[in-house]
Amino acid sequence: MSEKKIKNIFVDGAITPDFIARSISNHSSKTDIGGHSIFMGQVRKDEIDGKLVAAIEYTAFEELALTKMHEIREAVFSKYPLSCMHVHHSLGTIKAGEICLFVFTSSKHRKPAIEACNELVEKIKSELPIWGKEIFADASHQWKENS
Amino acid sequence: MQIELISFGKLSDFIPNQNLEIEGIENTDDLKQYLEKIFPELAAMKYKLALNKNLVQQNSKIKNRDSIALMPPFSGG
Repeated sequence: MSEKKIKNIFVDGAITPDFIARSISNHSSKTDIGGHSIFMGQVRKDEIDGKLVAAIEYTAFEELALTKMHEIREAVFSKYPLSCMHVHHSLGTIKAGEICLFVFTSSKHRKPAIEACNELVEKIKSELPIWGKEIFADASHQWKENS
Repeated sequence: MQIELISFGKLSDFIPNQNLEIEGIENTDDLKQYLEKIFPELAAMKYKLALNKNLVQQNSKIKNRDSIALMPPFSGG
């Protein structure tokens, strides 16, 4: 493992449109960038057995998740010529319609940015020890399963 | 010996975090068998273990005061 500092990807609560806008504008000074790719995960109001999902409560095994994310970050950085990579994942209760995952990659050209962003999202969903609990309007719950 | 058991996701609904006194259990395979006996729901579920915050990929030796995490399939994002 490299000596780079392990970054914290976790955010308490929803990721706000303001935060995302600021994150985009922070890159205007990096003029070697020619393409950004952004993925945002939003909590869906699924209907399950006649009940609507009101929110998802996220918990994580944070230390393990951050170590794993560090490995993923290093692997994706060495595979694609990226200028920047930002990953933010919510913890706690996120209401339907709010953003719970924000992945942002930038490169000189579009293709590495797009491909790295896709690869990151897939790895985040399959390899990070994070769990979503779907909370229904009547306060009952079921644990989310990734498709 | 005593181990610290922590559980996540669906497993946290029926396995509370606890310090567990175990005898005659030397490795993670033994421990899985033992836990599936005391928590029968576990036997029917898919889960992974982490030993002292490292994902268990193969049977590993357990020592006194080790921390074991029980993790069902991930569902982040």
